[in-house]
Amino acid sequence: MNELREKAKELLLNNTVKLIIGYANGNGHNRTYPFIARNAADANRLVFNEYCVNNLAVYLTRKEFKGKGIIGIVAKGCDVKAIIQLIQENQINKDEVYIIGMNCNGAVNQLDNSFEKTTLAQKCINCTVRTPALYHALIGTTKDIEEPADTLGEKIKEVEKLNADSRWDFWEAQFEKCIKCYACRQVCPLCYCEQCIVDKTVPRWIESSAHTRGNFSWNIIRAFHLSGRCIGCGECERVCPMDIPLSMLNRKMSIIAKKEFDYSAGVSLDSPTLVGTYNMKDRQDFIK
Amino acid sequence: MDEKLITLNNLKIFAEELLKANYTLILQDKQGIRWEKISNSDELHISSKLKPTKASFKEFVFSKTEPIFYFNNKNDGVELIDSNLSAEKMVFFGSKPCDAKSINIMSKVFNWDYKDNFFNTKAENSIVIGMLCEYRDEFCFCTSVNLSPVSSDGSDLFLIPTDENNFAIRIVTEKGREFIQPFLKLFAEGNPETTDQIFKKINLPEKGFESEVIRSWIGNNFEHKYFERAGEICLGCGQCAFVCPVCHCFDIVDEECGYSCGRRMKNWDACQFSLFTLHGSGHNPRHNQTQRYRQRISHKFKYYVDKFDEILCTGCGRCSRGCPVGIDIGQIAKEVHSLAANKV
Repeated sequence: MNELREKAKELLLNNTVKLIIGYANGNGHNRTYPFIARNAADANRLVFNEYCVNNLAVYLTRKEFKGKGIIGIVAKGCDVKAIIQLIQENQINKDEVYIIGMNCNGAVNQLDNSFEKTTLAQKCINCTVRTPALYHALIGTTKDIEEPADTLGEKIKEVEKLNADSRWDFWEAQFEKCIKCYACRQVCPLCYCEQCIVDKTVPRWIESSAHTRGNFSWNIIRAFHLSGRCIGCGECERVCPMDIPLSMLNRKMSIIAKKEFDYSAGVSLDSPTLVGTYNMKDRQDFIK
Repeated sequence: MDEKLITLNNLKIFAEELLKANYTLILQDKQGIRWEKISNSDELHISSKLKPTKASFKEFVFSKTEPIFYFNNKNDGVELIDSNLSAEKMVFFGSKPCDAKSINIMSKVFNWDYKDNFFNTKAENSIVIGMLCEYRDEFCFCTSVNLSPVSSDGSDLFLIPTDENNFAIRIVTEKGREFIQPFLKLFAEGNPETTDQIFKKINLPEKGFESEVIRSWIGNNFEHKYFERAGEICLGCGQCAFVCPVCHCFDIVDEECGYSCGRRMKNWDACQFSLFTLHGSGHNPRHNQTQRYRQRISHKFKYYVDKFDEILCTGCGRCSRGCPVGIDIGQIAKEVHSLAANKV
């Protein structure tokens, strides 16, 4: 913690960064919250622990911060994947972000839970980026952690075994719950459109009503728009007040991107984006 | 005040009888997500210790989406067809005081100038069986907004567990008295003094702020920098408004069914959405999240109080428990209270 605070202070005092997007403790709560540090006193409030679940990369494209000078950000390996993806999609300039990379030993799945093997967040299972792939400073050390089984993969396989009607029923029961609060969209670092297609009214492409039909349109269009782009931080599922298993859709899409195009989002600055690249070797057989 | 006694077993029979009499029973679900209709009294799952569900029962009296009317374009003009108002008789069973109060609070805005038949019909067809609450966490603050875990305000009947298998039930409103009348054989006479003793032993959440202080501070500090703190981290989703038992804003949109017909829908809307106040001209009077967050706090603790003499908040803590970025409205109210005390 001290290492993080000292680094933050140094960056703020020597004007390397204008501000640092990090985490602080809430008053009286075990949880941590996104916090913007602007001076040395703020820097002393920064924390990093297993309750730092938020993917702070979402703030990098917000107009309050974007283009306002070099922004420091406290980032876990998974958050850095989002930053890499944002740089590749030309949403942020890589010279305008200073990444304080955190060696990470896993995060808790729900903020009410204590941190242990059974409450490890799904995204942390089989994590390959416990040390971030890109950083300007690296803080902390990794240690061995016990991981539970990857139940998300199993859940996807179970639903895949169902016939089309039963799969529809499964998703209908899930999407019926949706209240269109758009927490999934707002918390997603890669949902950065200034005007989301669901908010367009002339013409209206997607019904804004939270009935089953409108909910199907919304959740499916979101899955499509994140295909080959989602970096799997799991924030959408974490914040969904109705507990819709959105990670199943996102994981399935990334499995397809990997299998069909040998592509994983947010892994390296050197690999161009999947949907932004034309490759003669890409499969053509689905074009009829 | 009239009070009856009922055993857990008889409470299940009571539920069974209600189902037979065509009442829809609505309870907190077992997953802690929302309120659900039950079809069998075996599913009666009530406890004073349950955590509030992520969503309140608001959805049943103020639908997340509903048609206002249907329209058909015909050769001789446009035909309008009224939407059917549901006559479903609903019973909210085992509601916490912070949920039970919600219908009365929303009723003020839905009957202020225009009488909203959609809300009113559902509210009139609802019976709220409230229940003493023994759940506490750091997000609860009902005692700061003039409620309490033992408040029967908003309930028609109020359940008080006296031990694991027995309840006392208070008859709070005339509506409650009429409702329970046909089932009185399942109840024994009770003694309000005994339950008053139970109330005295209940641990109350500590009062964190004076709502009147918040109201007057907001009135004098509209441009205060304090709002920026929440405003800059708020991501602008509608989670807080949609899980709130009393947030009641809605949008109106048309949905086409083809070239010549359609329906006009009333859908939940939220003041944290950037589109909420966007004008057709492109101007947006609340053009940043700080202004939108200030609106949320001001509506709850000032505007609604000024207009209807009622705080637009029941202290249930749902918005804070679920906020993606941990904005805690109870904590903010506390901080505003200290700002006011220090006259900043």
